[in-house]
Amino acid sequence: MTNTIRSVACAAAIATALGGALAGQAPSTPEAQIPSLEGIWDGTPRARPVNSETVPWGKDNFPVLNERAKAYQKVFDEAIASKYDCQPATSPAIQYDPYSMEVVQWPDRVIFRYEKDDQVRTVWLDGRKATVYDWQLQGFSVGRYEGNALLVETDHFPFDITGFDDYNGIPSSSQKKVRERYWREGQELRVTVTVEDPMFLKQPASYTTRWLPQRPGYKLSAWDCDPETSRAPVKMMTPKYKDQ
Amino acid sequence: MMLSNVASGFSRTIMLGSIAAIALAAPLVAHHSSAPFYDATKKVEAQGPVSKFLFKNPHSFLYFEAADDKGQKVEWQVELGPAASLTRTGWTPDTLKIGTVIKVVGQPSRAEGSHGMCCAKITKPDGSPITPGGRVTEEQQPPK
Repeated sequence: MTNTIRSVACAAAIATALGGALAGQAPSTPEAQIPSLEGIWDGTPRARPVNSETVPWGKDNFPVLNERAKAYQKVFDEAIASKYDCQPATSPAIQYDPYSMEVVQWPDRVIFRYEKDDQVRTVWLDGRKATVYDWQLQGFSVGRYEGNALLVETDHFPFDITGFDDYNGIPSSSQKKVRERYWREGQELRVTVTVEDPMFLKQPASYTTRWLPQRPGYKLSAWDCDPETSRAPVKMMTPKYKDQ
Repeated sequence: MMLSNVASGFSRTIMLGSIAAIALAAPLVAHHSSAPFYDATKKVEAQGPVSKFLFKNPHSFLYFEAADDKGQKVEWQVELGPAASLTRTGWTPDTLKIGTVIKVVGQPSRAEGSHGMCCAKITKPDGSPITPGGRVTEEQQPPK
């Protein structure tokens, strides 16, 4: 398939398949093939279109929102988006931000380090389960290798007024669950990201994208979000609500 | 359509109406949409010396002084991409030094009384690029 974005119909099938595979969170089996995902990967416009209102969520895979989600969208005020105070992006948005990412594979975990927002995610492969202390911005991730892919399931996300993406004012709830399937396609790293959130979505939504190998010697740079410039655009906006 | 042209020689401001939205609305910063903040149907141009350049993530900002259409000096705030992206196009924190006179053409901000721009083309007063290549936008996107 030439397009990096697939349809929601395809996504639903993948979500069903991944759901079955990850139920029970068994650790990787000895016979599972472990694909080499390690390295620094380039997610800039060299690899894919930049994120926007219609990318990666376009007409073919835009999530089907329930009434609650539509109500939130209607009252959403861009000024309240926490990114203007340097709160980092989360799944399923951070995977599509147009920057680089590093992957490290250890026997009991896979580590994703994102250039955007200086974020690090740990995907546990040792069969551990989340506790009540595992609610955190990037959620709690477990995974396993299956075939030539890494399957990841993440939950324990706190409610986030813009937890679905950066552009469409769609929130995510504490019931958000994100599934990722990573695999190699030649020199490329690919992922299918599938989101379930019964509080806001009528059905799972999904996109597929890719990274290209970063140039040799490339090192991720610090993001060091600056609070002053992060919120500076907001004063350029006509306020949605007047009593502020 | 030129609405005003300050005769001071220090700056001039033009507002062009009904310009079709160009493809700079979102991709410039990849952090937020520009639509809530800037009007893609209009363009504004101003010229003057750089007063501040913040080379930061998630947005860089360029400030410069110019006269408005009443001849009053105002400080424009120009939103640029994140430092991480500008670096890819060859920009550094020293690319725009304080006092450097520049010409900026971009989309005006929406808030009443504000002097902001985004999605801007920044050049020397004669229209030549600030840096070789002269780009402040992201690299060309590959086809989907």
